[in-house]
Amino acid sequence: MKKIINVSNLVKAYGKLKAVDGISFHVQKGEIFGLLGENGAGKTTTLEMLEGLRKPSSGEITVLNCNLGNDTDRIKEQIGVQLQSSAYYSFLTLKEILELFGSFYQKRLDPIGLLEMVDLKEKANSYVGSLSGGQKQRFSIVASLVNDPEVVFLDEPTTGLDPLARRNLWDLISKIKSQGKTIILTTHYMEEAEVLCDRIAIIERGKILAMDDTHRLMNMAEYPYTVNFVKENVPETTINKLDKLGKVENLFGKNNHFIVRVKEKKDSDEAIKIVESIKPETITSGRATLEDLFIELTGKTIED
Amino acid sequence: MWKLFTSDLKMLARNRQSLFWVLFFPLMFTFIFGLFFGENTTVGTIAVVNKSNSQIATGLTTALDKSGVFKIQAEDNLDTARDEIKRSVIAAVVYIPEDFGTISLTSNKQVQIIYDPGSQVYSSLSGVVGQYLTAINYQVQNSKPIFSSQLEPVTDRKLSYFDFVLAGVLGLALMNSSIIGIGVNLAKYREDKILKRITTTPVKSWKFILAEVLSRLVINFLQISIILLVGKFLFDAHIYGNIFVIIPVALVGAFLFQSIGFVVAALSKTADAAQGMAQAISIPMMFLAGVFFPIDSLPKWLNAIVQYLPLAPLLRILRGVMLEGNSPFFEPKNAIIILSWIVATLVISIWKFRLADE
Repeated sequence: MKKIINVSNLVKAYGKLKAVDGISFHVQKGEIFGLLGENGAGKTTTLEMLEGLRKPSSGEITVLNCNLGNDTDRIKEQIGVQLQSSAYYSFLTLKEILELFGSFYQKRLDPIGLLEMVDLKEKANSYVGSLSGGQKQRFSIVASLVNDPEVVFLDEPTTGLDPLARRNLWDLISKIKSQGKTIILTTHYMEEAEVLCDRIAIIERGKILAMDDTHRLMNMAEYPYTVNFVKENVPETTINKLDKLGKVENLFGKNNHFIVRVKEKKDSDEAIKIVESIKPETITSGRATLEDLFIELTGKTIED
Repeated sequence: MWKLFTSDLKMLARNRQSLFWVLFFPLMFTFIFGLFFGENTTVGTIAVVNKSNSQIATGLTTALDKSGVFKIQAEDNLDTARDEIKRSVIAAVVYIPEDFGTISLTSNKQVQIIYDPGSQVYSSLSGVVGQYLTAINYQVQNSKPIFSSQLEPVTDRKLSYFDFVLAGVLGLALMNSSIIGIGVNLAKYREDKILKRITTTPVKSWKFILAEVLSRLVINFLQISIILLVGKFLFDAHIYGNIFVIIPVALVGAFLFQSIGFVVAALSKTADAAQGMAQAISIPMMFLAGVFFPIDSLPKWLNAIVQYLPLAPLLRILRGVMLEGNSPFFEPKNAIIILSWIVATLVISIWKFRLADE
């Protein structure tokens, strides 16, 4: 696989605070690479250094074989950027905005075709102010494609959207991927990262805590297997038996809903047998989620 | 660059708030001052109740009419007229009693002026009536005044207060539209991350800024033309200067205020802050830089300061050019003050203004 972006020992310091503290990673051609972390973890700062918006304090970045700093203009021709919670001109129509931004590049795509791609063709002559939240976000993403870029940067593309609009955007992002473009996105939604990203780097306090293919990342959890069940008045002896296999927790204070977390497949099978013997109302077995791993790695939930 | 320029023009034309500052606000002042002080305006409406049909009485009504200072309304009944003063329909009544103007022992020899003390019509009215009656008295007595005064204006050009204000309104319009326009607009662009988005594209910052400046100068050109046309053709303003000098001077003024706008945008974090800062700069200047009255009438110490406000030298030059037909460099000091402000604000802008902050 061809490396499109290579980052090594990237640091961004504001006074004593290191917003980005020596991170290294690469992005391969055609993949969706996700930077996952909570607000203030350093995702946006990292992304904006890759886009040439901020100067790194130290470290090296190459994008499409160009060295950021020397060839910034050449890089800018070939990347598309969607900024976090940005707006567009209030008094230009969607079509006019795309034409204007297209005029900044040597290579440009037809505005109507782009609007068609995000189901906004009938809004071509409307102002951004008349769009819904989801439509605005779709427009903001398609506006980053005016120059038919090789690499697309999306900074929290679905933040603040309702579940349906979010799914709609996931479709759009996968459509962009299927055109052969490389996408690098930031998010603080675990589910989004799990669904969309081929590879994920979990960032916390400017450092990468874990990075791998998404499905492999879950295996890094200390307890990769889970058994969930619901049962009133579970006998003490059953709890003790399960406790020996792994960790037993109540789900958020519901004293009839239990999660058993175990390290190995055979322990999981064993736990299922024990639980079935007490005839639970429901039982499901599964794997640790990205969120479980995240909580384990950072020692807190992302919502804190 | 061309696309940026035309897009900026489109946005300026579509933005109602900016159009308000560019056109409606200054035109509002032009109309208000034009209606009060323009050519053919009067100080108020008066009623004439003429009960006499003598030649002198008719002569008085004609003199009042011809003075052009009042709007005259004929009235038959003195009581109705008095009532109308109370209701502020008219400002005064001139009552010419029966057989006034006939020479007989018993005839009425006094014209009565009944007026509303709250109105300014009284002094002009008593002047016109007094002058007419004095002339009649001389005639009747067959004598001539011994002492008199002679009036000699320094120029035979006609100038009115409206002419003075029109130049002021022009400066005011340029100031408001440019400081508020550039300052608030760019701060809003920054808040909305449009500026940051621009820096992710290969377009050069200077092109973006130049398009912004040029498109606004085009709008300023229209603004200047409309204000001058309305002043000249609707309110008979006297403009003696060459239009090809007036417009470039005004555009230099516009550029000066644009650079102040850049400083405002550079120093304010949000569009609201920029709006506040722009108004904090422009409102005091509106009153202290001589838009509506000459700043020479301010206390000396205050005048010593306010004459250096950016708008003040611009208005001095504009008035010199428009009203006297002078060269813009007639008093070089004014041009030097303007140039210094432009240089100072540009230096601050280049130092502080960034499309995207780190």
